[in-house]
Amino acid sequence: MAKLSLMFENKLVKEVPVGGRPVGIGRSPDNDLPVDNLAVSNYHARVYFEAGRLVVEDLDSLNGTFVNDLRVERATLHDGDRIHIGKHHIKVDATGDAPVPVDTGRKTTAPRIDETMVLDTKVRREMLQQAAAMGESMQFAANRMKVPTLIVLSGKTDQKEYVLTNKLTVIGKSPMATVRMSGWFKPKMAAQINQRDDGYYIGPGDKTPNVNGVPIPGPVRLADGDLIEVSGVRLNFIFRE
Amino acid sequence: MRIVSGGKTDVGRVRSNNEDCFRIVDSLNLFILSDGMGGEAHGEIASALAVETVVKHCLEAENNPAAPIYGETKAGWSDRTKRLSSAVYLANRKIFESAETYPEQRGMGATLTAAWIEDDKLSIAHVGDSRAYLLRTGGLQQLTSDHSLVAEQVRRGVLTPAEAERSDMQSVLLRALGAQQKIEVDAEEQPLFSGDILLLCSDGLTRMVTEPEIAGALQSEVDPERAAEKLINLANENGGADNVTAVVVRMESVSKSWFSWLRRGARKHAGSNGSAGGK
Repeated sequence: MAKLSLMFENKLVKEVPVGGRPVGIGRSPDNDLPVDNLAVSNYHARVYFEAGRLVVEDLDSLNGTFVNDLRVERATLHDGDRIHIGKHHIKVDATGDAPVPVDTGRKTTAPRIDETMVLDTKVRREMLQQAAAMGESMQFAANRMKVPTLIVLSGKTDQKEYVLTNKLTVIGKSPMATVRMSGWFKPKMAAQINQRDDGYYIGPGDKTPNVNGVPIPGPVRLADGDLIEVSGVRLNFIFRE
Repeated sequence: MRIVSGGKTDVGRVRSNNEDCFRIVDSLNLFILSDGMGGEAHGEIASALAVETVVKHCLEAENNPAAPIYGETKAGWSDRTKRLSSAVYLANRKIFESAETYPEQRGMGATLTAAWIEDDKLSIAHVGDSRAYLLRTGGLQQLTSDHSLVAEQVRRGVLTPAEAERSDMQSVLLRALGAQQKIEVDAEEQPLFSGDILLLCSDGLTRMVTEPEIAGALQSEVDPERAAEKLINLANENGGADNVTAVVVRMESVSKSWFSWLRRGARKHAGSNGSAGGK
């Protein structure tokens, strides 16, 4: 009978046989093969027989399921294959079982790595290439795309509304400013908004802007509906659906 | 604006070879940084090829502005931004083709972050998890998005930035040069102001040194090359787990400062017509 051996840093954690029922793998303790690691989704993947073939299927896990370091959504398993999930790996023992068909469903052959991928920079690098190669096919749900927008409430600017598309949005009189102010004595760069991974941060330029009436000497993350005032211009920051 | 620059790369404290590569082309105010990946010496080949390709493509375009533009460009971009994006697109193809031709190079790849300055306009083109920062009014503004799994998870609200820093998946990239035949290049342009300091760096710096430390080092050292050296020393003091590279570019005001105008005014005894000093 085929069996799966959960390994952590080359130590055996648990072994389960694969029979008629799928073997559930994930962080939740009710899995057949629970994997206690934050990088693992609650219900991460499952392994089962289908038409005599041993198959692993990723259950839309966040960090992915890797077979021999190639990210897969679904793949046929062979004897000796390694499934990587988070910092753990699972050795596949398919010996003494039904003949394993040739078609693997995998698009390319991945380099085989005998050591675990855990914490080893070289292996990580190799995995990184695989992930990069998979690139756009990474199965992320399409993001609820909210559009960060500045609406001009008062003051002289070249537009009434700005969609923030740049990493850095300059508010000022500079001809290259995104939010371009006009009028006398306006600063070239009054304030700036930096798009970071976790949100949009407004910071001072030549002036200290107010956010919701409070002067901000250093970068502050903007929230939906925030009111920005700088150099006589009032702006409303919103996320548009 | 006067542009002064300097760069430095170091193998770090753990690795035995340096897969990072950078180039400063003074005549064009072009700055390029790449971090290679791949077994044996192939990471070095990939990053060198990436940098070479970008330099060559941009230099050629100086002599022949009609040279073909590769990849997708946006209508609003300046010629420089289009050219730089095209150069990065081409670098991807060169690495990919080289790996196709020489099977032992298969799997090699590279990040690339390039900056091109013309007057007071900065063009940035970028793929991977090296970064471009602008130090302005005391704070670091990040000009590039990492194309890494953890950064994407933060953008989607799945991880907090702190969780991302602790993640084991930090090295997993979603986009890198050489992995596929075609690539999407991030590019955009920014206005520059006197006093701005541009930093290009590999992840060997950003994973070892915090942003406030980086900002502090950039502010405390006027000479760009020494500032780059200081950043590398910081990364190595904190463990130097990876190759580390920093390119520092300072935008200095050309004309007289307000202070020198005062002095000149005093010397000439001319105090009558006083619009505040030059920019």
